[in-house]
Amino acid sequence: MHTYNPISALLVFFSIGALLYFLFRPSKGWYWILKNQLTSNEKTIIEDVLKQLYHFENSNNKVDMKTLVHMLSFSNKKIVDAINIMTVNNLIYFESDILKLTEKGREYALRIVRVHRLWERYLAEKTGFHKIEWHDRAESMEHRLNHDEVEELSRHLGHPKFDPHGDPIPTKTGKMAQVKGVELPLLQVGAMGRITHIEDEPEVIYKQILAENIHIGSLIKVVENNVTRIVFLSEGEEFKLAPIVAANLTVAPLEKEILVEDNVTRLSSLTENETAKIIGISRESRGESRRRLLDLGFVKGAQVSIDLVNPLGEPNAYLIKGTSIALRNDQAAKILIKKD
Amino acid sequence: METKIQSACETCEHFNRDGLKKLGVRTDNFDFVVALAGNPNTGKSTVFNALTGLRQHTGNWPGKTVTRAEGGFEYNTKKYKLVDLPGTYSLMSTSEDEEAARDFILFGKPDVTVIVVDANRLERNLNLVLQILEITDKAVLCLNLMDEAKRNDVEIDVRTLSRDLGIPVVPASARFNRGIPELIQTISEIASGKMVCKPHRIKSVPENIEKAVKTLTVEIEKEFPNISNSRWIAFRLLEGDKKIIEALRKGEFV
Amino acid sequence: MKQNNIDHIIELSNELRWQIGDEFHDNLTESIYADAADIVKDTVRSKDSERRFRLDAKIDKIVTSKRFGFPIMFLILGTVLWLTIQGANYPSSLLANLLLDIIHPALKSGAAGLGMPWWLDGFLIDGVYLAVAWVIAVMLPPMAIFFPMFTLLEDFGYLPRVAFNLDALFNKSGAHGKQALTMSMGFGCNAAGVVATRIIDSPRERLIAILTNNFSLCNGRWPTQILIATIFIGAVVPKSLSSFVSLLAVIGVAVLGMVFMFGVSWGLSKTVLKGEVSTFNLELPPYRPPRFWKTIYTSLIDRTLIVLWRAIVFAAPAGAVIWLISNIHIGNESIAAWAIHSMDGFGFLLGLNGVILLAYIVAIPANEIVIPTILMLTVLVTGVGVGEGAGVMFELDSINATADVLKAGGWTLLTAINLMLFSLLHNPCSTTIYTIYKETNSVKWTVVASVMPVILGFIVTFLVAQLWRLMF
Repeated sequence: MHTYNPISALLVFFSIGALLYFLFRPSKGWYWILKNQLTSNEKTIIEDVLKQLYHFENSNNKVDMKTLVHMLSFSNKKIVDAINIMTVNNLIYFESDILKLTEKGREYALRIVRVHRLWERYLAEKTGFHKIEWHDRAESMEHRLNHDEVEELSRHLGHPKFDPHGDPIPTKTGKMAQVKGVELPLLQVGAMGRITHIEDEPEVIYKQILAENIHIGSLIKVVENNVTRIVFLSEGEEFKLAPIVAANLTVAPLEKEILVEDNVTRLSSLTENETAKIIGISRESRGESRRRLLDLGFVKGAQVSIDLVNPLGEPNAYLIKGTSIALRNDQAAKILIKKD
Repeated sequence: METKIQSACETCEHFNRDGLKKLGVRTDNFDFVVALAGNPNTGKSTVFNALTGLRQHTGNWPGKTVTRAEGGFEYNTKKYKLVDLPGTYSLMSTSEDEEAARDFILFGKPDVTVIVVDANRLERNLNLVLQILEITDKAVLCLNLMDEAKRNDVEIDVRTLSRDLGIPVVPASARFNRGIPELIQTISEIASGKMVCKPHRIKSVPENIEKAVKTLTVEIEKEFPNISNSRWIAFRLLEGDKKIIEALRKGEFV
Repeated sequence: MKQNNIDHIIELSNELRWQIGDEFHDNLTESIYADAADIVKDTVRSKDSERRFRLDAKIDKIVTSKRFGFPIMFLILGTVLWLTIQGANYPSSLLANLLLDIIHPALKSGAAGLGMPWWLDGFLIDGVYLAVAWVIAVMLPPMAIFFPMFTLLEDFGYLPRVAFNLDALFNKSGAHGKQALTMSMGFGCNAAGVVATRIIDSPRERLIAILTNNFSLCNGRWPTQILIATIFIGAVVPKSLSSFVSLLAVIGVAVLGMVFMFGVSWGLSKTVLKGEVSTFNLELPPYRPPRFWKTIYTSLIDRTLIVLWRAIVFAAPAGAVIWLISNIHIGNESIAAWAIHSMDGFGFLLGLNGVILLAYIVAIPANEIVIPTILMLTVLVTGVGVGEGAGVMFELDSINATADVLKAGGWTLLTAINLMLFSLLHNPCSTTIYTIYKETNSVKWTVVASVMPVILGFIVTFLVAQLWRLMF
């Protein structure tokens, strides 16, 4: 060991470590960035442009080249090239400087939307990825699946109607179910409704909604609505949102005739010595977890009480149909109950 | 319920003690296949051991019997192969255990399915029982842990239960070998066709689903007239169960 | 024609599913439970219907209470481990005496009487037989004590309560509370711990439990830890404290293993296993008095003997390899000596040496034979005057004699500490690797489970070695 000394050995070690870190760290590693650069080809750009146009047209907004370049994270030249190809292929046309989808372009865009939403649904039902990741993963997957794979995926999922955010999934033929409801800020104080859709873009706002633990399918009642904030009650808890955040929630107002269960709360709010009846399981609980809860007896009408309180806070054990079942708090928050 | 079901008590006297031979793992040349199903923690493995004379390890856990254990016994010159299925809460999810249990009852076509339940927690256990009864009509309910139930002041009207479920019900305490002779006798009667069950079918289904199920059942029966569990297949198709769809395509139900 | 009809049925079911909507599964389960409730109403009379049975509730209140829950748990686990390590001493030395000191010489002289050539008798008796005998002597007694005790606790119903108490900790690292049990099982034997992960029914958490089970210091490694700690760490403190300090060092290594288990679990759940499905449910079954003798019998048959048999199957060829590399010469050096010299440089970087690295390579089948192999190889390269000859594993009766051999091999306190660390952080034994493959059915996860701990071991020992050399 002629040239050995501990310091140089450590230096070599840490520089190799740092290099590996910068190459492979999740999502921002150079290796991944490079890989993305190489794979984001013409097809990706064309499909992204189509999708943007589709969303803009659906919300009755108009797009010119400048906004488009601004919206997409590709170089100007690449976008211009793509637009040229798209006009030649009769996917889009210009009306003065406004970009518009042709019938063919619209069909193509719908197909991309279909893949995106199906994939989100797949991630929600069949994998353990966190909600925050669904959108980004679907963004890259939508360019990769071919026609047959999409049909196989749809079949595998049982041809679902909605994605996990409540957005309708277009069918093979472009048919789409309607999302009922209006943006939350449009509801009057005292109005009741059911959350039918949670928009997952922009990410900052979506993260805020997730942090509040607001669930799709929950019943809400608006108690305050002004320019600074919107306050509503849902499942026994009070939520306060800024109007810009609340606008990302779509709520279907309830028709008068529907009988509303009062005092619905979450199982996680049950305390020792209380008993309750189960009203149902929130839509937030999906796939395998939901089935498991049902199989264990957490079904509508069942009696439930706390059997054991955990020394570390969670999971608590609930007595359901004669057996003690431990659930973590995030699971218990998705079971709706009415206390006796 | 038109068929008269013999209650377990009537069968006790017929039990032929000399005709019983526990065969352990020697299960070659069997005449009948018997599946053993049940929730976790119902003493299913104890019943298995009591029937076969084996000493399979049992644990006070869900999900213990993952590998399928097999054993056998001989009764009145007929040989029975006993297959211990994984303990599950249901047959409708997609976990490995549940699929294994489901596939065996569905495609393995056992001559008798013994469903072991905990007498103390009958309601919860019935979830699995009612699902199994949709798949097969040759089943017997083993009401295990009767000793515990007695200690806990739980009383069960076996006769009514048997009538409601449409299958024979045998109360037992497998730990103490109680009820095992009656169980063996009942198994043999079902296997030989002496006893015919008319199992309960799920009733409280919402109208819109029931209608869809009926439509599908009619179509399935048109295609496979001899199938006994068309309604269950309809349930699975509506659920979008890929495996069942594949099986239907390949005609594995005939 | 027929196929058309079937396609029609499937098409129809798709159409109907679309009409019924997403709530089919919920509705069906609810209907089944409604029927169940109806039936139960007619047939079951219970005086105390929804309440859980009183004795159970009382026990549960105590074993999950804030004040007693954790002390009871540590007391029970501590007792089980202590009984295992202490209780195994006597039968182990008895077995070692029988198999190594009586039968081995008898076999040797028998072979000589038959006129067996030296290479055949060396290969079979010094190689294969000795490795197998060693594994049995070291492994059988602790396992025969540990597994029945563990199984009794399991059958009584206490273990699910442990999972219940500890779940919050495991949840933070993305794991399942039941991993507490597979981890404890790993203290007995990692292969058995891996099999025990079957109780975890969530795919992601089960994989985590399988991949991190090796961080539980198993029975095969406890004796190594205790021996090295006694020789080297106990020696640096005053005599009166030495046994206490060496015990502390061993416990420290075991606790470090748990720290790694939590850390790696966390890392795995955040990176490679992020997308695996994760669910949680834990049933707390009623307590049932275990049937003592039956449990002892079945746990011996089911767990101990099966694991022992697998270990023997893997140890036999390892014994043969150890004998062969020590006795086959290339040029004027045996393969073993050549391998040791070529790995000495890398070993030095890690604060170890070539002997240790070679011992860990050939002793992949069983951690039990690491120390005998190290001693044999050290004698082989240093020429110290003890031992039984090339390729014949041995252990010395006195700790001092062992210490002398190791010091002659150039061992320092750093070597000892790093050996203890490397004994904790290296690939699982081949029995465990094989079991992981059987349980996961995946080459990928088997490779991850085998390679990841070695890399961690390299990193940790390397860092310790450099810092040590900087400081002292």
